[in-house]
Amino acid sequence: MTWDITGMGAVACNGTTPSEIFDALCAGRDGRGPLQVFDHDKYRARNAYEITDRARPGVDEPGRATRWLITAIDQALADAGHPRDLAEVPVLVGTTLQEQRSAELWWRHGTALDPADLHFGTALREEYGAARTYTFANACAASLYALAMATDLIELGEADTVVVAGTDAIGESAFGTLDRVQNDVPDALRPFDRSHRGMLMGEGAVAVVLTRAAAPGRPVHARLRSVGVNCDAQHSTAPDPEGITRVLRDAYRLAGAAPEEIDLVMLHGSGTPKNDSTEAAVLSRIFPPGSGPLMTAVKSMTGHTLGGSGLLSLTMAVLALQRGQVPPVLGLTDPIEEAEGLRLVREHAATAPQLTLAQVDAFGFGGINAAAILEAAR
Amino acid sequence: MSTAHPATTSPPRVAVVTGTGLAVPGLTLPDELLGTVRDGGFDPVTGLVGRDLRHKDRASRLALRAAAPALRDAGLLDGDGYTGPGDTTAVVVSTNVGILENVCSFADTIARDTVLGLSPLGLPQTSSNVIAGSVAMAHGLRGPNVTLCNGPTSGLDALYWARALIVTGRAETAVVIGVEPAGDIVTKLLGTPALDGAVALVLESAAGAAERGATVRATVAGCARAADLAGAVARAGGLTPDLWLTEAADDPAGPRANAVLDPAAALGAASGALGLLQAAAAVAHLDEHGRHTVLATCGGPEDDGVAAVFLTGPHHTP
Repeated sequence: MTWDITGMGAVACNGTTPSEIFDALCAGRDGRGPLQVFDHDKYRARNAYEITDRARPGVDEPGRATRWLITAIDQALADAGHPRDLAEVPVLVGTTLQEQRSAELWWRHGTALDPADLHFGTALREEYGAARTYTFANACAASLYALAMATDLIELGEADTVVVAGTDAIGESAFGTLDRVQNDVPDALRPFDRSHRGMLMGEGAVAVVLTRAAAPGRPVHARLRSVGVNCDAQHSTAPDPEGITRVLRDAYRLAGAAPEEIDLVMLHGSGTPKNDSTEAAVLSRIFPPGSGPLMTAVKSMTGHTLGGSGLLSLTMAVLALQRGQVPPVLGLTDPIEEAEGLRLVREHAATAPQLTLAQVDAFGFGGINAAAILEAAR
Repeated sequence: MSTAHPATTSPPRVAVVTGTGLAVPGLTLPDELLGTVRDGGFDPVTGLVGRDLRHKDRASRLALRAAAPALRDAGLLDGDGYTGPGDTTAVVVSTNVGILENVCSFADTIARDTVLGLSPLGLPQTSSNVIAGSVAMAHGLRGPNVTLCNGPTSGLDALYWARALIVTGRAETAVVIGVEPAGDIVTKLLGTPALDGAVALVLESAAGAAERGATVRATVAGCARAADLAGAVARAGGLTPDLWLTEAADDPAGPRANAVLDPAAALGAASGALGLLQAAAAVAHLDEHGRHTVLATCGGPEDDGVAAVFLTGPHHTP
């Protein structure tokens, strides 16, 4: 069983469409910059990967996560040739922070907040007439979780087409508690490099149109083979190698694919020493040293876009399969010990015309894990 | 291991309810949502303490205090812990304002004391999935772990997805929890006093329940979300209910039912817990009326959608 991806949309700090973001990644161009609206005196960290779209520079505004969500879905629908009417189409949105930033602005600065705007169904009803809408607050595995549940809806006969999306805008409480907790103060997100000092958040939204089978004559970007999901049930913030191994094995099994068939891995790669060492160690046990799949980590240039990050990695994997090009891990010069046997793409984009199967990792707080297997459509 | 999307055609999997539990101030058992009166009941002051709750956010504490009695009711918790299949047990949580107090008060702390004033223990509490993670960790539940923040329908939407996880084979068992912690910030946002409590249901596959000899309390016969009440009820199967649990009893588009009730009327704004309070009340009703069909609906014309769930009793015949 496979599912066709027929439309894609995305906005991030370094691009306003999937193609622009992919080109930026291949050119080694990130979207990092000084914090735009948070009071620098209140934080240890000084940088983030924010989208620069505020009407008045330096002044924050509510509803940005929702705005990007609509932009990404609009792009994906146009790409798929699907009308802007989702009355019968389920829309599954994965997010870490929902519209939490709007709640902070309401509480701290008195901007208006309707409780109905904390979840995304309200805007989706207004924009697309959508009512079969679901906001999943599944931390940084959220959009791949939503993708898994979209495949289930199609399998259950509940829908033929599902829109899957992810979105997050940085909030002060989340950015601040992370800033408080990290031992070091990262000025950039440097996954798998010995210089990695932690995670920095990014902003963005992403959407795909997933169908049972594309209409005759409609282009298919790629085929989804499986999505595995589970939970470590071990620790509230630290990853667990056993849980990650289990979710990858589940994704391979559901896809009917062996690890040896994987050509490309889009790593979770959040840049925290704990994530990087755990993820690299697990993959080093699954793949043969030095001859496994090519690997990259887009968060080195987009920052950690939280709930949408898994699906953003997936859309970048689709473009990598289509174009035979794999973006580098920006800033990777001296890999951590656990990653020494992994074929991480460095410095320049790798040319790889024969990529067929890609694996996409996404792990989140609460020990929740998701992994997708994607196949080139040729 | 999960068996999502089996290639062979086997009989369709069915999700049944085998346990319920409450952590709602003043209540002990779900039949009290239907009018049964007992002395005592859950008291947050004495009920939300204990080593297992240390450093946990309020929503997680409430959720844990509802999950345990639900698992015990289902016969899945003994003195040694969870006795079900940990790898294939899902947790599905519904909450809309579960972490709102934390988010806003952390922003206050940053403004006053910089990030150095924050407790490092607060990090997981900035993500709504902290609750589902707490429940998974407490009982070793390693299956899919899902948090819905889906507005007024969220509780019934959690049932929809718990059922889907079981029917597709991603999970054998699911602990489904609706929880909303009260507080001044929540009251200010909602403009009305809010529920301070949690409710839990245990769902499992009918085959799994039969295999372990569990008592089936209800079958999740149909679930849907749609633009309006009539659409949701039809999509959920359009059964004829004996009892309709709703906040919108006067909706002219409502189904004909012998009885109509709002089981959460006295509890304050129940938000993401509402649908699961209705479901727990439905199970209590079906414990007494095993042939009946109960409809629960959440959301109305002013909301972005309406959700409907049909629960049928263990002796129901279609």
